[in-house]
Amino acid sequence: MPSDHDRDAYPEPPRQTPAVDKQTDLPNPALIASKLFYYAVDLPVSTFRGFVESVQSGNQSVYYHQKFRRIPDLTECQRGDYVCYYEAEMQWRRDYKVDQEIVKVIQERMRACQQREGASFPQNCAKELQQFNDVAKAFQLRYGDLGAYASGRKCLMKQKERMIAAQAEQA
Amino acid sequence: MVGMSVLRSAAAFAARLSPLKAGSNVSNLLSRTVPRPNEVAVRWGHGKKMFVIKPTGFYDSRFLRLLQYYILLTGIPVAVIVTSVNVFIGEAKLAEIPEGYEPEHWEYYKHPITRWITRTFYDSPVKDYEKMMAAIKVEQEKAEERLTQLEVRRQMRQKGDGPWFHLETIDRNLVDNNPKSTPDN
Repeated sequence: MPSDHDRDAYPEPPRQTPAVDKQTDLPNPALIASKLFYYAVDLPVSTFRGFVESVQSGNQSVYYHQKFRRIPDLTECQRGDYVCYYEAEMQWRRDYKVDQEIVKVIQERMRACQQREGASFPQNCAKELQQFNDVAKAFQLRYGDLGAYASGRKCLMKQKERMIAAQAEQA
Repeated sequence: MVGMSVLRSAAAFAARLSPLKAGSNVSNLLSRTVPRPNEVAVRWGHGKKMFVIKPTGFYDSRFLRLLQYYILLTGIPVAVIVTSVNVFIGEAKLAEIPEGYEPEHWEYYKHPITRWITRTFYDSPVKDYEKMMAAIKVEQEKAEERLTQLEVRRQMRQKGDGPWFHLETIDRNLVDNNPKSTPDN
């Protein structure tokens, strides 16, 4: 089975099941429904899963996350060294994908928090909301309007513009 | 008015009680309200048999039959193969890369069919990267060569002393100096 999610990032609210205080002799329909679901759906599915896992436990293969070495950046390439440009560009693209996934994870946490808290989420989820705002703003600043043909060079030029604007603002 | 309708319904009731013979003329009776239960041609068992005239459904049903056949011809083997792979072989589990071990390029994928495809048909991404870098290097060297060639040409033409801009002249020893050997020619 895949490992469980991070309990700190997606905390569960405390359980609110009340103590059983049955005051009638009629059977509890919720109990009947849950037992029905268990025997009709849960038990067959679990036994099938157990059978499949026992078959698969013999030939178990593994997969890894690929690790890439860091390459000298576009700013450290000689002019006209196209091989260096290519490697820097590939590294920039990998970093772009990683940043997109980071934003997705932060967004997922915020959505989970909102779902948990319900109507009181602006107050209870302030940390997640703030985190998401920061991350989204940073992503927009760095990769914002680069478009579909984004490249490391265009991102560098955008950074240059940002630095020029910051310097002009300071002065 | 009311009396007329009472009369009519009374006639209908009397006619029902004593059913008339088949040969009697219908117009003698108040025929609107006289049911004739013994003489209908329809029983409400199977319904009246109708000869329904509709356009042919042969071509449509043939098309659908053939569509089903050709889709299932490869669809069923593919479904069987994929199901058996998922049940009997199963997906890979994520693990840390052991020290000093370089995984093969197919060991970065989870599903067994994806692993098989990348193992059998595709080159490793490292090899593709190196191929691309080699192509770029070749093109870069070609571009640099062309630029230097143009620059050399320009310099030689300008200075006039390069080997590309020599004009072949005849050997000095072959020149006949007789016409110019005395000042009065």
